[in-house]
Amino acid sequence: MAGLTRFRRAPFEALVVWQCVALAGVVAALAVAPAAVASAGLPGWATAVALALSAAMLARLLWSGHRVGTRLRSERRRHRELVDALGTHDDSVATRAAGSEVRVLAHPTPTAYCLPGRRQRVVLTEGTLLALPADELSAVLAHERAHLQARHDLVLEFFTVLHEAVPPRLRAVEALREVRLLVEVLADRAARRVAGPVPLARALVSLAGGAHPETALGATDGPGAHAGTSATRDRMLLLTEPDAPLVLRVGMLAFAVAVLATPVLLLVVAVG
Amino acid sequence: MPHKAINKLGELERAVMDTVWQAQAEGRSPVSVRTVHDELSRSRDLAYTTVMTVMGRLADGGLLTQERSGRAYLYAAADSREELTATTMREHLSGMATADRRTAMLHFLGDATVEEIADLKAALAEVEQRHATGAAAPSPARGTEP
Repeated sequence: MAGLTRFRRAPFEALVVWQCVALAGVVAALAVAPAAVASAGLPGWATAVALALSAAMLARLLWSGHRVGTRLRSERRRHRELVDALGTHDDSVATRAAGSEVRVLAHPTPTAYCLPGRRQRVVLTEGTLLALPADELSAVLAHERAHLQARHDLVLEFFTVLHEAVPPRLRAVEALREVRLLVEVLADRAARRVAGPVPLARALVSLAGGAHPETALGATDGPGAHAGTSATRDRMLLLTEPDAPLVLRVGMLAFAVAVLATPVLLLVVAVG
Repeated sequence: MPHKAINKLGELERAVMDTVWQAQAEGRSPVSVRTVHDELSRSRDLAYTTVMTVMGRLADGGLLTQERSGRAYLYAAADSREELTATTMREHLSGMATADRRTAMLHFLGDATVEEIADLKAALAEVEQRHATGAAAPSPARGTEP
């Protein structure tokens, strides 16, 4: 656990490691079939089992990728149309958030989010503009811009696809949660470079405290809601932490490469 | 194509809704696609079919209501901007805890309960203190803390 926290100070490298570990798992599962076919000494039934395993994995991956992708895109499109029709522009905000389309909804609940994709949007409410002084607002906008520019949504989509491709009993909820947190920490680091840690930390409190009582109550019964807020606390405390030392970061990348290379090498050896 | 460029920015949806609300305020509701197209065409180059498509989508999304009148449809706003926004936000925030919603849209924050906010405030105090001593750069004093 302490180790994990330390790796959060290198969110980019940590995400690379997670992706390589996940990919290595996929490669290993898909490689069972070619490896079995290549090894001549195997009985026929074993080869059949290996083929079935790999085929099932491939089918689940493709199906999950299709389902998740369709769902996310239609959800985003529907919501973007609502936001475009109902939202207004705010010139001062829009200028500061050069490059992304900012929409302001006429609503008192302070909130901020972005809709990734080709037609990306950053969505704020009038409540957000009232609640946040200029420095906190620019911190929030820098955070959202970092999400959009680095396409963090693709990282999340990749993990969601893998998550759903795996049978429910084998799913690692913690892994998905950690990846979500790392993506937020990554955007926080970008925002910190623009606005400094203190405005960003203040914005985290301002936006957490402003939600309507009804929505705050509604969120207490879900197990994800609680984790979400302790994640906010983790993010806040990471704001003053320096980046992880270079040695650790290089080490993490080397580890990621090694993890991914292992199943690939094994396959090459087995086939060749 | 000029109208395509407008729609890419999502301006058209808003312009259509504004026109419909304006008509409603002037007592000219419901309106036809022709009326909306005529009004929008004053300030931009726009195809009739583009306006028709957008209005159909807005009706699908529940922002406009549709009623048949002869061979054409007449449209009215389903509610005021404030009410529709409130409905959208309510639906949106209540669904925020679902994994799908959280992957589709990246939120700055999840919802927090009262105790969790107190917890966050304590963490903020720590951040402010650590930063003040660590960086030795006094942060600009903010006079009015709500």
